[in-house]
Amino acid sequence: MSKLNASDIQGFVLRGYNLPVARYLFLRLEDAKRGRYLVRRLLGQITTGQRWDGGKPSVTLNIGFTFRGLERLELPLATLITFPVEFQQGMKQRAGILNDTGINAPDHWDPLWRDEHVHVWLGINGQSVEALDSCQAAVQLALDETGGATLLATQEAAAKVVDGAPTTAEHFGFTDGFGNPEYLGVERSSQPGQGKLLDDGKTWAPLATGELLLGYADEAGELPVAPVPHLLASNGTFMVYRKLHQNLATFREWLDQQSASYGGGKEKLAAKLIGRWRDGTPIELSPDAPDFPMTQDPNRSTNFTYAADAAGTRCPMGAHIRRVHPRDAFGFNGKLINRRRITRRGLPYGSFASEDQPVADTDDRGVIFMALNASISRQFEFVQQQWIQYGNDSHLGNDKDALMGNHGGHGRLVIQGDATPANPPFVCSHLPDFVELRGGDYFFLPSITALGMIAMELVDPR
Amino acid sequence: MPNQNGSLYGLTILSPIIDDENATPSHDLQIRDYLAQLSTREDSPFAMAPGTHLARLVVMDDVIYVGMPSCEEHLKSKYLVFESNCDGDLDTYLGGLADAIPTHLDGIWGHCVGYPKQGAADRQAFIHYMKACQLETTFYFAAVNDKSVPATLKALQIQTAVADFIASHQGADPATLQREFIDFAAHLRAQPAPPPGSLGPHRTIETGGHNE
Amino acid sequence: MSNINGKVYALNVITPMKPWKTWILRTAFFVLDHVKPLQNDLINLSFIEFARWVIIPRDAFPFLGNGQRPEELKYNYLLFFSNFNGTWNQYIDAFSAVLSKGLNLIWRWSEKFPGSVPVTPFKQYIAQVQFDTDYYYTAYPHATANDLKSAHIVQNSFSRLSTFAAQSTPQQFAEAYLQFVLQVQAHLGETGEAPQVG
Repeated sequence: MSKLNASDIQGFVLRGYNLPVARYLFLRLEDAKRGRYLVRRLLGQITTGQRWDGGKPSVTLNIGFTFRGLERLELPLATLITFPVEFQQGMKQRAGILNDTGINAPDHWDPLWRDEHVHVWLGINGQSVEALDSCQAAVQLALDETGGATLLATQEAAAKVVDGAPTTAEHFGFTDGFGNPEYLGVERSSQPGQGKLLDDGKTWAPLATGELLLGYADEAGELPVAPVPHLLASNGTFMVYRKLHQNLATFREWLDQQSASYGGGKEKLAAKLIGRWRDGTPIELSPDAPDFPMTQDPNRSTNFTYAADAAGTRCPMGAHIRRVHPRDAFGFNGKLINRRRITRRGLPYGSFASEDQPVADTDDRGVIFMALNASISRQFEFVQQQWIQYGNDSHLGNDKDALMGNHGGHGRLVIQGDATPANPPFVCSHLPDFVELRGGDYFFLPSITALGMIAMELVDPR
Repeated sequence: MPNQNGSLYGLTILSPIIDDENATPSHDLQIRDYLAQLSTREDSPFAMAPGTHLARLVVMDDVIYVGMPSCEEHLKSKYLVFESNCDGDLDTYLGGLADAIPTHLDGIWGHCVGYPKQGAADRQAFIHYMKACQLETTFYFAAVNDKSVPATLKALQIQTAVADFIASHQGADPATLQREFIDFAAHLRAQPAPPPGSLGPHRTIETGGHNE
Repeated sequence: MSNINGKVYALNVITPMKPWKTWILRTAFFVLDHVKPLQNDLINLSFIEFARWVIIPRDAFPFLGNGQRPEELKYNYLLFFSNFNGTWNQYIDAFSAVLSKGLNLIWRWSEKFPGSVPVTPFKQYIAQVQFDTDYYYTAYPHATANDLKSAHIVQNSFSRLSTFAAQSTPQQFAEAYLQFVLQVQAHLGETGEAPQVG
């Protein structure tokens, strides 16, 4: 496999920056000429994938385009029609396929996503809010000088800070950030459990680069279908952006109320929903209690399979991480799931509330979910449609993911157990909607070269 | 016996469709039209006749040219394909169709060559005709090969009801649990199985709507 | 026309085969039929409800006289009918990922078959040789192969518990009931409508 040219790939794609605060800007392009000028203006500030061996920058900037954005930039029609159907349609039109219905339907989205057509996403990550402000100011200057776009809205996001250090905690109290896949040529070090399983059923290897980046061989042993020309697509990827509101009050009440009748107690019930204790310990490895040192050891924190737990007595068959990363749970040493992995980047938004602080569902808080993948329909959409809003592959019929599903008050989670009082079988019925979709869309994150081509109007159809 | 897998029978029938230039519309289009209006749910003819798990009807216009260096060739007739996964014995199944849905059989196969003049009303002739069009299934796979249609529908009904019972009886004391279970089991036994072809009991869970 | 009914998809495929290659395929099917462990992969890909292959020798197209013109063909034909759960893409992705050797053994005798790996040319071939279903019926549109298997497991356990219920003390029943729940706890998924696909 050829060595990756990190200077050509946007940094946001290649790594999680682990910077504590972020602000996302959403733009509407004015016209092709001024839009291109804007892209040229911003090009020099786009953060690449080159390593920060000298220390993290105070702020980073990355850019993505919706299909309408690429249309507005007047890429040749012959090029535009080679973009995948789901990207051309945009996330709102895919609502039926994603089961973004009921409370998650576009009618209930934020005005930005419900009413507007977003063309450009600018992702600013930084060490401090001041750094975000200064970057936004620079962007605004570019907008003013070029007249290339209007700023439609911004979205703040920030990690929870504990004792002065940013954490990966999210609002329900779970520790996030364990599940990202490992790709050939991308990571410096390997972590067992993040890539794909080999035929011995226990050794892990990185996934093919083409599952993340266009222009590289993927797990099917070919170059994935990609937009043409090659130069436009290579080193680029697709991003799914979803703003997920969290009903923290409902969650806390529900957990308290259910755990009153659950023999394993509240923390264990919470762990069974996700598949990890709230500190991140995988229940597959440590079913009885959290094990904080395990979460800090990359050789253990993600290193497990479900072969010895086919019945789901340690980690329920419907637990979130088991649904979205089944590992070997479907047999065949995990081969059926290697092309269904996604890389997540994202941060919580809204104020954090400790357990004793009163909260309301109407408080503005949740998570900005961003997924990167070479094929939105084969990767993100498939997982959302088949593994989150449905359960057949996990042998769970129509049952949806307990935490993420749009249950409308009718959802059910069966927690498989055994004959011990602390691990009983337990059925949670009438699940409410813990998470609500408030908007989002599909973006294309081009390489630095492709950005240059777009800016200079050098995209030729074939 | 490759047509059989356990108690399931893989019936494959290819019926040549009448080729009559004077027929307007042509017979294959008439079959298509008839099928387009037929319900695929509880009021499907195959729900009303016994023994069909899954079945399809396909008007096969021609073979498909895969391109050079293969030779291009064409069928001289169109064929109506009937692929059925059904319970048990072939004669019983075909006879069951003739008894239950003769009008539909005539409406579909009446456009095919050699179909009995009296149609499915002539039970023996109908069975004989279908067998004359039968192809031998070379290899037949069935995920569940030992349960009839009624048994399957009953099992699905029981599964749903049991899940509801377990959910609603969590934490019940043993005496109540036993008493209510006995009632529940009696009630479930007495309840008729849901009709074939239906989507099951109405549930309020939405997974996104129809596929059609 | 619809290839889909509830949770199941009707796939029809026809491919030409040179007559001399057909006997090799028949042998392959014979072995598959009689060496049950070879079918394990097919069983473990638990989204197929029913599937069949039908070899039609070129002189074996049904001929009923009455003015029908007999066929004059160079090729034999292999028909494939599948009833599977999930989407077309998911189905072919899965086969290509884990059953490629088996697929190759069956289809390499068909003209212009590109191999089942990698998946894109394979999908193009299937799209080319697939023909659409006019009418598709299923007695249980709300259930997948997995649902069916689960339903039978639940029914089995339920029958046994029902028999026991009448003859036991409440305490004995409660213990048996726990065992019953443990037996069926992995088989209680709801049935219902399929995800929307287009």
